[in-house]
Amino acid sequence: MENAWIIPLFPLLSFLFLIFFGKRLKDASAYIGILLSLASFVYSLLVLFERFTSPTHKAESVWLTIGDVQLTAGFEVNQLNALMLVIVSLVSFLVHTYSKGYMHGDERIHVYYAYLGLFTFAMLGLVLSPNLLQTYIFWELVGLGSFLLIGFYFYKDEAKRAAKKAFIMTRIGDVGLLIGMILLFWQAGSFEYDEIFAAVEAGAISSTMITLTAILIFIGAMGKSGQFPLHTWLPDAMEGPTPVSALIHAATMVAAGVYLVASLFPLFTASETALMTVAIVGAFTAIFAASIGLVQKDIKRVLAFSTVSQLGYMMLALGSAGYVAGVFHLMTHAFFKALLFLAAGSVIHAVHTQDIEKMGGLWKKLRVTGPLFLIGTLAISGVPLFSGFFSKDEILIAAWAHGNTVLFWLAVVAAFFTAFYMFRLFFMVFAGESRTDMKHVKESPSVMTIPMVVLAVLAVVAGYVNTPWFGTFLGDWLTDGNPALGHGHIEGPAWIMIVATIVSLLGIFLAWLIYSKRSLARDWLGASTLYNVLYNKYYIDELYEVTILKVTKGISVLLRFIETFLVEGIVKGVAGAVSGLGHVGSKFQNGQIQRYGTVAFIGVAILIVVFTVTGGYLK
Amino acid sequence: MTFSGELLAFMSLALVAIAGGVLLLNLNKVVHMVIALVFTFVSIAGIFILLSAEFLASVQILIYSGAITIIMLFGIMLTRHSETNVPKTGRLRKLLLFLGILGFGFAFYIGIYNLDFGQEAADLHVNNTEQIGIALYSKYIIPFELTSVLLLATLVGAIILAKSDDKKEAEKE
Amino acid sequence: MSSVPLSLYLALALILFCIGLYGALTKRNIIIVLISIELMLNAVNINLVAFSKFGVMPSITGQIFALFVMAVAAAEVAIGVAILIALYRNRNTVNIDEVNTLKN
Repeated sequence: MENAWIIPLFPLLSFLFLIFFGKRLKDASAYIGILLSLASFVYSLLVLFERFTSPTHKAESVWLTIGDVQLTAGFEVNQLNALMLVIVSLVSFLVHTYSKGYMHGDERIHVYYAYLGLFTFAMLGLVLSPNLLQTYIFWELVGLGSFLLIGFYFYKDEAKRAAKKAFIMTRIGDVGLLIGMILLFWQAGSFEYDEIFAAVEAGAISSTMITLTAILIFIGAMGKSGQFPLHTWLPDAMEGPTPVSALIHAATMVAAGVYLVASLFPLFTASETALMTVAIVGAFTAIFAASIGLVQKDIKRVLAFSTVSQLGYMMLALGSAGYVAGVFHLMTHAFFKALLFLAAGSVIHAVHTQDIEKMGGLWKKLRVTGPLFLIGTLAISGVPLFSGFFSKDEILIAAWAHGNTVLFWLAVVAAFFTAFYMFRLFFMVFAGESRTDMKHVKESPSVMTIPMVVLAVLAVVAGYVNTPWFGTFLGDWLTDGNPALGHGHIEGPAWIMIVATIVSLLGIFLAWLIYSKRSLARDWLGASTLYNVLYNKYYIDELYEVTILKVTKGISVLLRFIETFLVEGIVKGVAGAVSGLGHVGSKFQNGQIQRYGTVAFIGVAILIVVFTVTGGYLK
Repeated sequence: MTFSGELLAFMSLALVAIAGGVLLLNLNKVVHMVIALVFTFVSIAGIFILLSAEFLASVQILIYSGAITIIMLFGIMLTRHSETNVPKTGRLRKLLLFLGILGFGFAFYIGIYNLDFGQEAADLHVNNTEQIGIALYSKYIIPFELTSVLLLATLVGAIILAKSDDKKEAEKE
Repeated sequence: MSSVPLSLYLALALILFCIGLYGALTKRNIIIVLISIELMLNAVNINLVAFSKFGVMPSITGQIFALFVMAVAAAEVAIGVAILIALYRNRNTVNIDEVNTLKN
């Protein structure tokens, strides 16, 4: 565990190596990426096992000394970090492997693997950071990796725009994080998590300030985790390669926001208002995104909105003081959502379209992908015995136990929506008759299916680490020695579990009625206004277009006016003066030693005279 | 400042020295300039005597009025000097430089015109050469030896520089 | 007490120094430039010797220093004339304006 810092270095090595030598390696660069990510996964696993038995390890060295303030750099392996390490490196490793098949034959495959390495490095670095400053550095690096990977198909206009959008939207959130961070530093005098928590506990920071900083930091988390109203970049980010969507926009990076809130949890619990904000934003995002997901036609967009919705769930859990529930759902979600994305990638790989209207009847053609996709769908819908069931249940209990009745029912409705649209997706893609010509459809190579199988197994069994039936190992372990994080398990009335089950089964049943059995009209809400509103994602993008964009454009026109006439005028004046001076100066440089001497001497003489007259050295 | 023979001597020597310097600037022929400078050097030797440095005065005459002047004359003779087609220095530069030097001289004059430390060495003229010799061979022996090394290096360097390049000469011929 | 004050010697040295400086920076002939530099060195020598008699701590040291300056000046003139001759051989001129290889 003392050498945990080595884990992020593997992908960094892969990144550097591929950047420098990738061009020559071509397809072989995939093996390097896979091998090095495997190395970091194995090491993370070792660290996790070691963490079961030994206490938190923290190593730091002084990085900068500014006045009395010492900035440190180092790493910390606590329960949450160790868990995140394994999740990130595992999903990263599987995605690396999967991409070998998915990206096969791409011209720039080495660049792709290099970017994957960079992203994995940043993400692993992020989860190892022991202080806010380091977190922020890696946070931005993660954003950079995401930007590069979304824009990987940079020749596509949409990809370019999506990459820019993702970068700018997350940056808006990052401003909040930065301000919050600075305020915290100002108040607590340190970037260290431990010292910040100590200051919060000791009451050294006023409660208003705690609320303010917590909410500002939450804004940063909102940007990264795609919470309303900064969610619009996440669906567009699906322009990137599908394995990237699985890695970044489902399992790891978007979870960074949740991770940030979780690692600063003691700060949030110190302020009831901040917690409430987190919970409300989370619950609203959950139902909001789920309702959009009901009608989307692009397979990846449905998954994207379900991601947004599930992230909302996690935020709701954290906001309801359900630390364990949030982290637990983060873990299970990472597995089943990565599985769903990889399976979706496999489908897209097979049929070369993302429009679910054009799919159908693929169950018989894709004998491996189909069942795997079903497992993922069952897990996310919260069907009993699958991992999503347990974690979602935890969240519902946490929300109930915290007394947020309204939010609880919102979450229940969102769960219903989730089950419905996920099975709508499943039936549209796999059930029924093929709606287009599907002769050339082939199952994906095993290099793609094996990672999916691994994830499917995890999507089923990951839930059993924390169940009300067999024991709450995860919860007990996560909160061990940290009373600030709340109880390992929150007791809730048994009917919640039953309600959750009924709701999800109801959603599945409805989807089955409409899309598989067709006993209900498919376009029951077809041409209605509601459908249009949902299909256009509540016109949020359009709203931004007319409000923020217009205003910004107006400002930019004004600024450009100033730029052209004021700034450029000054710049040109200065440049002209300088170049004129240069012309004069170059006259002195004619190579004659006497002229040099003359100029130098006159300069000295002027200095001496000025000194004498002003009394520089005589008085 | 009472009038005395010493002041008279100083004044006349200074007059000759400055006159030599001004002539140096204004004469046309190079040889004349060098001759003008000899006057300056000799009168500086006189100044040294006024300052009770008899040994230095004789060295001044030997080295400056003698050796250096001769070297200069050799240099003049070995090169050709056509005064006619040498372009004059630009007027602007002369003016600027003159003003600069004027300012410089003025600034320093303010610094020195009333400078007096109120002390005077009484016995510098007593066995002046002996005093210098003792100091040179005891306290300043290392700089003295270094000076000899410097002079040796100068000797070698001057020979190498001035020696005609045999190969080039052969090629020319 | 000597009847010639220190400041007069220093003033003489200053005048000679200024003349030398002016000559060194304006004359076109390299020989005259060299001579002007000698004149400046001599002005310095006058200062040194004057301080050796009237300085804060009057002693023989000033004269010794003047002696060293003379030795170095002699060496400098020898080298200067040697360079002059080498230059004359290569460029056939003693005009300082035409020596402008520093420009390139």
